Amino acid sequence: MPRTPHASPQTLRLFAALLTDPTRWRYGYDLSRETGLASGTLYPILMRLSGQHLLDTGWEPSDEPGRPPRHTYRLTADGLALAENRLAVASKAGGNAAAFIPRQA
Amino acid sequence: MRRAARAVLAAAVRGRRDQGGPWGEAVLTEFDQTSGRWEALRWTAGGLRAVWHERRTRDLPRGVRIRRAIAGTAVLGLLAAFVINQFALTARFMPSGSMEPTVPVAGRFLLDKVSFRVTGLDRGDIVEFSIPEAPVRHTIKRVIGLPGDTITCVEGQVYRDGTLLDEPYLTGGQQTDDCGAPVTVPAGELFVLGDHREVSQDSRHWGPIPQGSVDGRLLTTIWSVPGVG
Repeated sequence: MPRTPHASPQTLRLFAALLTDPTRWRYGYDLSRETGLASGTLYPILMRLSGQHLLDTGWEPSDEPGRPPRHTYRLTADGLALAENRLAVASKAGGNAAAFIPRQA
Repeated sequence: MRRAARAVLAAAVRGRRDQGGPWGEAVLTEFDQTSGRWEALRWTAGGLRAVWHERRTRDLPRGVRIRRAIAGTAVLGLLAAFVINQFALTARFMPSGSMEPTVPVAGRFLLDKVSFRVTGLDRGDIVEFSIPEAPVRHTIKRVIGLPGDTITCVEGQVYRDGTLLDEPYLTGGQQTDDCGAPVTVPAGELFVLGDHREVSQDSRHWGPIPQGSVDGRLLTTIWSVPGVG
């Protein structure tokens, strides 16, 4: 049986974080803090989701002048549906996702 | 420490260009949000992985991809050739006539350095080993006796455990002389003779050779210089 895509514990944690306020644009660093995922885990997932048009990306000018703009992320409509579906399946399957305890970033 | 980590990350993201890929730049910008030395280091370590991931998945122009594939194949091929040549199969030059006519002088042969370690050696195999008197030099001879065999020469003929050997690889009724007393091959040793019995220096002179000095078995002869040998 092929593996379900976008169903790893790490991806589910990211989905959960993005779903707390789906309309808000999020920063990579804040997502890393919230999910406990290291940058080396988080960014490849973001790249994959973005490549499949499940994630919108944008550049937001920094508040402080002279600093480069920050990259921001938000689920697309497709991404939102998929995230909700994956989280529902995972919680039905018996809290496999909840068993994943990340190290503190 | 933080500045060093940032410099490493920036170098990985941008290389020699002003601007790296969008994801690399994103990771680099977010670096400024980290606080403390350890968090910065962790961010950099993960960032390197993210940059590698981004580079691996980006679409390069066709020409660049092909050139890289060729270069990669060449490097891997050279490495593999080196390892095989060193440890598995190699071509050798025959500097002497002691194995005429099986291996002509100035001929070449392929030496198999692996299979005899698996299958063991048999009577009739041609092996390469270091010469007992001068261990830096190597030569090839034919295995006549294995451990336990008793080798005798009577009137120019070789007997193993009292049985006359059939030696079709010898030319023109060659005699095997100067064997001395009968020899029983000890455990872990081999009795070897060259096919060119009249000139070959071999176990008749050295006695049995240790199996540990064998480094390969002749697989086949390959081209030899025309007109020589």
